[in-house]
Amino acid sequence: MKMCSGTVSLKALEMKSSGSYYAWQKQLFVLVVIVVSVVPLVIISWTASHYYKKSWLQKTALELSGLAGSRKEIIDLFLKNQENLLSGFTNLYSLEYLSVQGNLEKLFGAMNKSGVIVDLGVIDRRGRHLAYVGPYKSQLADKNYAGAEWFAEVMQGGRYVSDVFRGYRNEPHFIAAVTDPARTWILRATINSEFFHSLLASAEVGPGGDAYIINRAGELQTPSLLGGKALSAEELAMLISSDRASVRFTDNYIYAMAPINRGDWTLVLKTDINTSLAEFYTARKRDMLIIAGASLIILIVATLLVRSMVNKIEEADKKRMAMNNRMRQVEKMALVGRLAASVAHEINNPLQIITTQAGWIDELLDDEDDKRLKNYDEYRDSINKIRGNVKRAGEITHRLLGFSRSNGYERKEIDLNRLIEDTASLLANEAKAHRITLRYFFEQGLMHVITDAAQLQQVFLNILNNAIDAIGQDGVIDISTRNNDGHVIAEFADSGPGLSPDSIKKLFDPFYTTKSPGKGTGLGLSISFSIMQRLGGDLKAGNGKEGGSIFTVMLPAH
Amino acid sequence: MDDIKILLVDDEEDFIRTLSERLEMRDLKSNTAFDGEQAISIVNDQEPDIMILDLKMPGINGMEVLRRVRKSYPNIQVIIQTGHGNDLDESEARQLGVFDYLKKPVDVELLVERIKAAAKAMKLKDSMAAAAFAEAGEHETARKMMKG
Repeated sequence: MKMCSGTVSLKALEMKSSGSYYAWQKQLFVLVVIVVSVVPLVIISWTASHYYKKSWLQKTALELSGLAGSRKEIIDLFLKNQENLLSGFTNLYSLEYLSVQGNLEKLFGAMNKSGVIVDLGVIDRRGRHLAYVGPYKSQLADKNYAGAEWFAEVMQGGRYVSDVFRGYRNEPHFIAAVTDPARTWILRATINSEFFHSLLASAEVGPGGDAYIINRAGELQTPSLLGGKALSAEELAMLISSDRASVRFTDNYIYAMAPINRGDWTLVLKTDINTSLAEFYTARKRDMLIIAGASLIILIVATLLVRSMVNKIEEADKKRMAMNNRMRQVEKMALVGRLAASVAHEINNPLQIITTQAGWIDELLDDEDDKRLKNYDEYRDSINKIRGNVKRAGEITHRLLGFSRSNGYERKEIDLNRLIEDTASLLANEAKAHRITLRYFFEQGLMHVITDAAQLQQVFLNILNNAIDAIGQDGVIDISTRNNDGHVIAEFADSGPGLSPDSIKKLFDPFYTTKSPGKGTGLGLSISFSIMQRLGGDLKAGNGKEGGSIFTVMLPAH
Repeated sequence: MDDIKILLVDDEEDFIRTLSERLEMRDLKSNTAFDGEQAISIVNDQEPDIMILDLKMPGINGMEVLRRVRKSYPNIQVIIQTGHGNDLDESEARQLGVFDYLKKPVDVELLVERIKAAAKAMKLKDSMAAAAFAEAGEHETARKMMKG
């Protein structure tokens, strides 16, 4: 059962060991960090920006409509003043008095100090121009206004202010006319509309903005500041359909409107949204840069943190996997041990019979006359081969039994350095024959271990034999020892070709060998492994940084 | 050598018969037993000098035979010859005082050599014991032992 569960979790770990799993984990964690930190940041900033923009526009609209209000008052006051002035004179003077050209000229001179009034005329109830002061005397002196629309209106309402028109004078002006209280005659003045123009030009509507006056039909009463002669159809439709005292938003402009001249005209102030938002856009750009910077920092920090975190997890997983591998190896060894013992026993008995019977034939042959037996020598030879191979098989079964050695080993305090030296000396001749140098790097204060020297020696012999076989000819075996955290470690590094990845996996499996058939049984290292497990230590194999394999023997120190 | 009594105990009859014949060719007389019960009854009847014993047998196994023989006949030299190479068995057998522990397959020459060594050891032991008894004045026992 234990083995089973071990295998399952191992599979999961192996899946993890493919690098992509950890890369995916990293991406996932970084994504989570972005979702929980950067996304809210962006949302908050976007909402704030949106709200800020809205309130900025409202503020602009409010300012614009305030401006429109104040301009409207000025214009209305101006119109009212002109009107009042004219009706003041109609009260003050009689028709007879003002019909005299000299008197009218005197009056014109007195009231036109500001130069706003272009001309002044007196018209009787029949529309006849009785007197006129102004630059267009020749054109207007004998004009009869009886048929003009405005004449009827003023005679009926007592007052009249015209739209701006070019009329006979071919320049923009409007007419203000009032009757005397009895409505028997009319005092009429032409007023220069330049005044409106300069008044509107001084309105602070910003670059791209505009200020103008339109009549009920939407005709421009003052020239557009931008130079347009007429409004676009689109703009006109919008303005006419609007309440004439409102603020309107379009895609690009804010319009503030105010009715003037008793509602006959509408003052329109228009400001370019993009221009008025320029400052806001600059601020928003700066905020966006800050947020982008902050996001970048978060991203970098998150990536670095996640990377180091996931790397730690990966490392821990790797350690766990290595441990599981060793656990599996240990379990396998125990199983092999039990199997080996029973198999060895079952084979040893037949081997005993074979060798005994062969020996018996051998002895019986002694009684035969070798002259009479045609193949006498062949029999002898064959028997010897049988005995030789029984011996060989017996050696293998005896080695197999090495797996099932019990824990009841001899315990003696030993100096590992000396044990290694003694063991290596057993192989000194072989090493010399292959021109292999053994070098020792012993830690002098090496802690002693309490263990079974004979079994440990078997392990060292195995490792050294393998190293010599791996090198073949000409090379070095470095043997080093050191203390490590309550353990004693002996390392055997050879200058051979090193271990293939496949070898590292199967190295400790029984019968795994890379040696030519008949040279190695593939049992040495697996038995060494089980010996080290029994001794409470460990045996590991790997490759050195500069090639060659390294076998590491570890034992708990005394 | 012809005065040494040997008992071969193994459940492999072919092996035991052949071995017995081969020992005889070397002037070593031997008796055979094919299981534990038979072995014990022969020991009780004939009290051999040397016993070649297999450990794994049906019925009373070799270890049990060894225990009983060591208890009742401590002078019998026992050589274990087994296919069971378990080191636990070996150490138990050695603790019980076997002369040697051989792992199958065993060459006859080696076995003969060990039998001769055991016989020599037995004689030495006997003479030493006899000398010891003689010194202690236990003539009767010494005489008996020498005779056995």
